[in-house]
Amino acid sequence: MSNWEPKIIAFLCNWCSYGAADLAGVSRMQYPPNFRVIRVPCTGRINPKFILSALRHGADGVWVSGCHPGDCHYIEGNLYARRKFALLKNLLEHTGIEPKRLHFSWISSAEATKFADVAREVIRTVKEAGPAQHFIKKQAEVA
Amino acid sequence: MQAYTERIREAAKRLLSDGKVDVVIGFRKGTIPFMNEPYLAKTAEQVDQLVWDGNCGVNLANYLPKRTDRVAVVAKGCDSRNIVEHIVENQIKREQLHILGAPCKGMIDKRRIKAELKGKEPTSVEETEGEIEIKGRDLKLTLNRSDFLQENCAICIHRNPVLYDDLVGDLVEEQKDVDRYADVRQVEAMSTEEKWRHFDDLIAGCIRCYACRNACPACYCPTCFVDESRPQWVGKTIDPTDTRTFHFLRAYHLAGRCTDCGACERSCPVDIKMRQFTKKLEKDVKELFDYEAGINPEMRPALDFYRPDDPQAFIK
Amino acid sequence: MEGEAGNFTAKLKSEPRFIDPLRCTGCGDCAKVCPVTCVSEHNCGLDRRAATYIRYAQAVPLVFAIDPEICIGCGLCEKVCLAEAVKYDDQPRYNDLKIGSVILATGNEVFNPSDFDTYNYALLPNVITSMEFERILSASGPYRGHLMRPYDREEPKKVAWLQCVGSRDTHHCDNPYCSGVCCMYAIKEAVIAKEHSHSGMEAAIFFMDMRTHGKDFEAYYDKAKEEGVRFVRSRVHSVEPVGDGDLEITYADETGEIKQEIFNLVILSVGFQVGQEGMELAGKLGVDLNENRFVKTESFAPVATSREGIYVCGAFQGPKDIPQSVMEASAAASASSLLLNDVRWTEAKVKEKPTERNILGERPKVGVFVCQCGINIGGIVNIPEVREYAKTLPYVVYVEDNLYTCSQDTQVKMAQVIKEQGINRVVVAACTPRTHEPLFQETMSNAELNKYLFEMANIRNQDSWVHSGDPTQATEKAKDLVRMAISKVTLLEPLKESELGVTRKAMVVGGGVAGMVAAKDIADQGYPVYLVEKSSQLGGQAKKLFQTWRGESIPAYAEGLAKEIENHPNIKVYLNSELKHVDGFVGNFKSTIQNGGEPEPVEHGITIIATGGKEFQSEEYSYKKHPRIVTHQELDQRFNENDPSLRSINSAVFVQCVGSREPDRPYCSRVCCTHSVESALELKKINPESDVYVLYRDMRTYGERELIYQEARREGVIFIRYSLENKPQVEVVDGKVQVTVFDPILQRSIRMQPDLVTLATAILPNETDALSQFFKVPVNAEGFFIEAHAKLRPVDFSTDGVFLCGLAHYPKAIDESIAQARAAAARAATLLARDSIFFSGMVAFTRPIDCSSCGVCVSICPFNAPRFIETGRDAGKAEINPALCKGCGLCVASCRSGAIGLRGFDDSQIFAMIDSV
Repeated sequence: MSNWEPKIIAFLCNWCSYGAADLAGVSRMQYPPNFRVIRVPCTGRINPKFILSALRHGADGVWVSGCHPGDCHYIEGNLYARRKFALLKNLLEHTGIEPKRLHFSWISSAEATKFADVAREVIRTVKEAGPAQHFIKKQAEVA
Repeated sequence: MQAYTERIREAAKRLLSDGKVDVVIGFRKGTIPFMNEPYLAKTAEQVDQLVWDGNCGVNLANYLPKRTDRVAVVAKGCDSRNIVEHIVENQIKREQLHILGAPCKGMIDKRRIKAELKGKEPTSVEETEGEIEIKGRDLKLTLNRSDFLQENCAICIHRNPVLYDDLVGDLVEEQKDVDRYADVRQVEAMSTEEKWRHFDDLIAGCIRCYACRNACPACYCPTCFVDESRPQWVGKTIDPTDTRTFHFLRAYHLAGRCTDCGACERSCPVDIKMRQFTKKLEKDVKELFDYEAGINPEMRPALDFYRPDDPQAFIK
Repeated sequence: MEGEAGNFTAKLKSEPRFIDPLRCTGCGDCAKVCPVTCVSEHNCGLDRRAATYIRYAQAVPLVFAIDPEICIGCGLCEKVCLAEAVKYDDQPRYNDLKIGSVILATGNEVFNPSDFDTYNYALLPNVITSMEFERILSASGPYRGHLMRPYDREEPKKVAWLQCVGSRDTHHCDNPYCSGVCCMYAIKEAVIAKEHSHSGMEAAIFFMDMRTHGKDFEAYYDKAKEEGVRFVRSRVHSVEPVGDGDLEITYADETGEIKQEIFNLVILSVGFQVGQEGMELAGKLGVDLNENRFVKTESFAPVATSREGIYVCGAFQGPKDIPQSVMEASAAASASSLLLNDVRWTEAKVKEKPTERNILGERPKVGVFVCQCGINIGGIVNIPEVREYAKTLPYVVYVEDNLYTCSQDTQVKMAQVIKEQGINRVVVAACTPRTHEPLFQETMSNAELNKYLFEMANIRNQDSWVHSGDPTQATEKAKDLVRMAISKVTLLEPLKESELGVTRKAMVVGGGVAGMVAAKDIADQGYPVYLVEKSSQLGGQAKKLFQTWRGESIPAYAEGLAKEIENHPNIKVYLNSELKHVDGFVGNFKSTIQNGGEPEPVEHGITIIATGGKEFQSEEYSYKKHPRIVTHQELDQRFNENDPSLRSINSAVFVQCVGSREPDRPYCSRVCCTHSVESALELKKINPESDVYVLYRDMRTYGERELIYQEARREGVIFIRYSLENKPQVEVVDGKVQVTVFDPILQRSIRMQPDLVTLATAILPNETDALSQFFKVPVNAEGFFIEAHAKLRPVDFSTDGVFLCGLAHYPKAIDESIAQARAAAARAATLLARDSIFFSGMVAFTRPIDCSSCGVCVSICPFNAPRFIETGRDAGKAEINPALCKGCGLCVASCRSGAIGLRGFDDSQIFAMIDSV
């Protein structure tokens, strides 16, 4: 278990955090390779069932990152999403998912440093939570 | 209780004979005690079957979506809130409705009564202001009504209908100093692992019959997410992960919409306390967004709305 | 430049870049090996850059250049550039351009405070300009957004901003004007710096007048005060070093007492000025500059220079902020396109639409192209391993790797391969879709494939570049990303970009100056305009005003304009009329105009809302209790009528901020300070012996308007400041008007019995509810319409095809209204000039059978794309208008019933990616 590395699914908004991830690359900032990024047009696009699905597939962590309030490319998608995520995160935690597995951030396309910092922090805390135990659908039975 | 029944019948007759409505939705006596059943009265004769007592727990709002006729409906506090939701969510138009508001002192939990009867069969039940008198062979029992309420009724803070055209009884005093979330806080205090096991145990008996979903007035999607096939991402089995996904997302879909009417738990054949999911959401919605479901027909549910300064401490 | 309007010849010199922008992939290897550096101009000298450089990471195009000033010609960059883009022998290029018009948008420069010796900017590292501080706060700046001071990279605990450095100043420089933006940016910097601070940084702004006259600015100012930013009304005398890098500033407070205070960092809020280059350019083009060296314009033609056919916008025209610059930019475009109207489209090349292969019913056949990006990916990720792995994945029929997948020759080959192999889905594993997706999609089109059958795996920016120390894991990640991309691409379907015809007619609501200017610009371009005016005549507020601050007669202009409008063959004017009903959307509006009797249906492609505003009539200050207490418009009317009684006014008082900047109407009405100063000067002109007082809170004569404020003081107008807590009293005592005000300099109350009191009352928006609902456009708490983006889209609404100008947006001066109206016309013309518009294929769609009619989508969509179907089998269910949908997916994710899909980002596709992680 000592060399266990978590797999984390990151849902990044195309207009900001995905750009920040790109810019972190341009600036050659380094962070561990634990993320698999799924690009979405807006955090408003993220259906809670995607996050459940990620957990069901055994993701050790989920990270959602979008635009700062007021900066949404679609005016207010992130503000609706903020409400959804608040309730989703609380309910997941209430029903026994470790808080350390779920991460949300606002990162603009210019904030490469913040992206790399948060990336490292997310990986660190997911590692603390250890390998995912719950909500995983046994692969053989996946419909 | 008899007074309510009289007034319901009187209003129903008037509305039907004046041609104001096509149907009156209320309750009639069931075939066994403690089991009234929803009844749709369309004629003056049928009206006489309408009754009211503590066994009218079924949420009649569930019978409204997609109706095209003019409807009078008897509504307790919770029913009326679900009617408000239906109006907001375009399931029925306000103009179609004549709401007969029934101020409520809580509905009787037939399961508790059953436990009290210890296997004896009741033949008649009389309900007075504060007491329930049960008679049967070798049976004569007087119970304190307030000790046998549905759990959600015991902690209800909206006993009076929030929207109505006529009242069928005098407004009742709302319960003060009710601690609605004692059970939620109990779970909140647990460790993560305990929480997981708590909910695992809670839903362990689920047979995926969907009675809870069908009884819920707010569950009216033509295709439920568990039946989605593009792709089918939740299995239909009683695999624990699938079962949990169902309960979790069913509750989540009720976020900011659930009125805690108790229909889900009432209908569950295996006694699952699924309100523990929805109440957590209700508590969060109240605390984070200062919103209560079904109170104001001018307001969209909590997730259809935002404020620029909504809480975001959880966001980095 | 030679020639005349409509027919210029310009000689253009392009400096050599020494790196071919067509070959450069932006990988940055050249900059990594470059051995020489110099200070970075972009970061204001706070850090360094190489001789091979890119100005900033978001630059467009994202390609490098070599700075010949510092390059030592070592040849290293040429050696490492696998794209062979380096060209040491690059030469300047000269072009002769045949052009009809010119727009000057060269901006200007920020003031250099080095000569300001008492502030010691040149000597002390912790005295910096606001521009330097912008870079410090920037996430991509020299300190990566960490709040630090240059001297010791310590976080400052106490920071001072000194306003008006190089503005409102004729002693240290020749810039008498106000730069108009510094107050606001200083507040913004203070608020953001406090947010960045870890130790509760103290912020103090030393100012003369706080000029937050823009939309929502006053509220921001109020919020900054609440958040603890300290505002000190004083012009700072000097900044001296103390201790280890700290600074002592000396200033006189409001009572005249001299004070000292120590700060860790001092920021000079520097203003704008036109630099040498700007002046030379104006000289070369034969364009006149005004006394402040800005391009000379007139209030009624704010973007026209002295030379016909040459237009100006932005800060070269005068000091201004971003929204006003953007408005002027569109206004200049409108002016220019009027001139060039006859030759519209004559130089446009129609791109031939390649035929598209029908792939319906075909099994997915995926082609995968893995890019090495020189050594940028290939040096870290094991490309052959990724390539071979991709071959094993379902539906993959072809895999190759390329040195540069984006290079021209690879693109040609890629198109061939797609055709030869019958590939119907393409995955490129390379840099990032944000920069390269359009390029590869173009190749898809060239290969006769629908461009949406494409997906990129980001194995450079988000893999090899950020995991260069871990090639094994980077390779594993690349394989995962390729697998995820393939799993998505197999589910993608060809998307159609729907085409919709445009009704090439405009509707303008409001016949004031803004509405008339917008209508005229559109009509002059040849498009019919319906101009709907509620009242019985055109002209709006302008008829009631006297003159601009430059002394140009406003009623004369408005009347002339109204005549042109009435006689314009392309404009149909509806007086005493209102919009009663609106249907449709961008390109295809169907409205009903109620004009007395019969409602008239009209069709139009765009709508401009210019419903204007009006003067607030306050009960305050004994208004209406005495004929000598008037509003601005009432005084203007007397000026217009040349009222002889004005000559006998021996004393006059102006009271500012009547109904503005108050708790129940917090915004600043922007124009009243200038209006009062201009009227005060007029009174002085009529009777030079009169005593004229202006009672103000902050004089907001922004930009070059500052000059008439200075003139008024020279002419003897007396300015007395009052505070909101201690407002002046205007009473009628024994039939006489009596004004009492507390003078902060004398520290006592003054009582006057003036012949005239003019109340500078607020400007209110006209009624907006109906239009707001018709066009689904938002209105703020104060009743002004809310534009799509305060800075970047100041005349657009988020509803496509609807535009905004004039006082309905916010109080503004007439030159600003005109610029905004012309801008709205220019934005409208971008739609009217086309027969049809195309919409992105990536839009949401509903499946009515699954729709529960709950209305979440209708309620939350920021663009009003979903609506309820009105008739037929699916009546009451939601449908989405692809013409309005922007593809954000908010409704899709919010639909509990799963009834909405999003083309290109559908649930199945995202689930497939999650499944294959």
